[in-house]
Amino acid sequence: MKQRSWSDVALTVWSVAVFLFLFAPIVVIILSSFNTGRLLVSWGGFGFDAFLAIVERPVIRDAVWVSIQTGAIAALLATLLGTLAGIAMARHPGKWALWFIGLLLLVSVTPEIVDAVALLPWLVLLGQDAGLSIFNDGIVRLVVGHSLFSIAVVSYIVRARLVGLDAQLEEASADLYAKPFTTFRRVTLPLAMPAVLAGFLLSFTLSLDNTVIAAFVQVSGTTPWPVYVLSALRSGLRPEIAAVSTIMLVLTLVALGLVALVLRRAGDSATQIARTMTGS
Amino acid sequence: MRSFRMPRFALAIPAWAWLLVFFVAPVAMVVWFSFGYKPGIFGTHANDVLSFDRYLEALSPTFFQTFTNTLWIGIAGTAICLVVGLPVAYWMAVKAPPSRRGLLLALVMVPFWTNFLVRTIGWQVILAPEGWLSTALQSVGIIGGPLDLLYTRGAVLLGVVYNYLPLMILPLFVAFDRVGDPLREASKDLGAGKARTFVRITLPLARPGVIAGVLLVFIPLMGDYITATVLGGAKGNMVGQLVASQFQTAQNWALGSAMAVLLILVIMLTVAIGGLLVWLVTLPFRLQNRLVLGEPEPAASVAPRSQEVAA
Repeated sequence: MKQRSWSDVALTVWSVAVFLFLFAPIVVIILSSFNTGRLLVSWGGFGFDAFLAIVERPVIRDAVWVSIQTGAIAALLATLLGTLAGIAMARHPGKWALWFIGLLLLVSVTPEIVDAVALLPWLVLLGQDAGLSIFNDGIVRLVVGHSLFSIAVVSYIVRARLVGLDAQLEEASADLYAKPFTTFRRVTLPLAMPAVLAGFLLSFTLSLDNTVIAAFVQVSGTTPWPVYVLSALRSGLRPEIAAVSTIMLVLTLVALGLVALVLRRAGDSATQIARTMTGS
Repeated sequence: MRSFRMPRFALAIPAWAWLLVFFVAPVAMVVWFSFGYKPGIFGTHANDVLSFDRYLEALSPTFFQTFTNTLWIGIAGTAICLVVGLPVAYWMAVKAPPSRRGLLLALVMVPFWTNFLVRTIGWQVILAPEGWLSTALQSVGIIGGPLDLLYTRGAVLLGVVYNYLPLMILPLFVAFDRVGDPLREASKDLGAGKARTFVRITLPLARPGVIAGVLLVFIPLMGDYITATVLGGAKGNMVGQLVASQFQTAQNWALGSAMAVLLILVIMLTVAIGGLLVWLVTLPFRLQNRLVLGEPEPAASVAPRSQEVAA
């Protein structure tokens, strides 16, 4: 057995320390959800009071439900638009695709706070001055806000997957007299499917997470969960917030596990999964 | 395929249209607002007189300090993320057993996909003066009084490093993983030591990952609003909060818009200047490298890219 060099040992120690650092606040939140004290910061004792409080307090339940609804609708929309755009970029590239990628890049580098302050007056303009009353609906406004970044992410992922796969299958399908739509439905879409599913689940998680845009575009009555937490910051954080976060964390982990499973089944390596998850 | 012809970009039209209506148009409106002014107490914006006055106002000493503060946190935070994350990514890609890599990646991604606000609140709990960390440090005797880190610029820096570290580790991991063992082994066979191999072979080949990581961390970090709100208090202010407060409390949309536009300009300028500086600093090194390595270097850096396309 070869002696491990000091640099290897140092690297390992450093990495373990960084992983502990990454998990410190998450562990704290999970522990805090069993706190029976009145405030999050002061430990009162161990118990399940916070979880019971979620069941009792409709405000929290409603906020979580709004988040889940918004997440599902925004993810569906972003997946639909992003998948079509991704297929177009991969299969019909051209000068237009450069412009389109430029737009997607712009969407992904614009700070969320800028999107947020821009969407607020814009939705008011559409909803009240232009009379399109659909934009006064809380869920619609949230979906619009949450969809922007997700569309870019889904487009990148779907494009990356299809660019890697040769277009021969589609050509063969066309040579065998399949109509364009049949080729699209029976060949292109199944090829892109793992990326589409990964994109959907990522969009869902991104939407659940979205705080900044949601805080600006929300209308009272449809407050999503993160905005509820943000407003609770001022009035004092209670252990219920940690309890809901623990539940949400479990849900997110399940969603992420599904993504990894889908990608692994499609034959991606760990590295490729990491690339897909970061949208690069 | 030939019976009817759609334009090549037909499938992308819905996404185009959606982004035009809900991204380009609203952002353009903000740019337009930024040339206007706030009419009276009850108005939010007016555009009948156009000027650059709001930009001057946004750069007046009161607000300018927040801009420099944000830039400082942005640059320091990105640098710390790079220094902290690089060894971890290298360890994951090179030293850790390959069978564990999937698990390690998943571990990096868990915090990344945990609610941003909630994990920041986790730090608020940890750093609280009456919290357990403060108590523990006091009982050991490292600090005299209660921990005095929360609601300072230091806390914001810690928060942003924490929040954006996974975005640095992931692209670096991908880059190190792509370099592969054979080149490193060849370098060692040719007599280069560990450090030399890392500096001359691994790091230059991982450059795209370093660039991606720095951009992925710096750009969202500069526009961060939540970390500074949760951990910064009044002392650790960032531009994101400034923009938000102009729209929410001050109701001065013109000034808020000018600040938002300035924020984007500062981000783009810093990236451009940073890129130029790095290019200039590494220029002599790269020229020297080219002489030594000759042909193989471009070939070696092309190979991983073609793999990327094939992947």
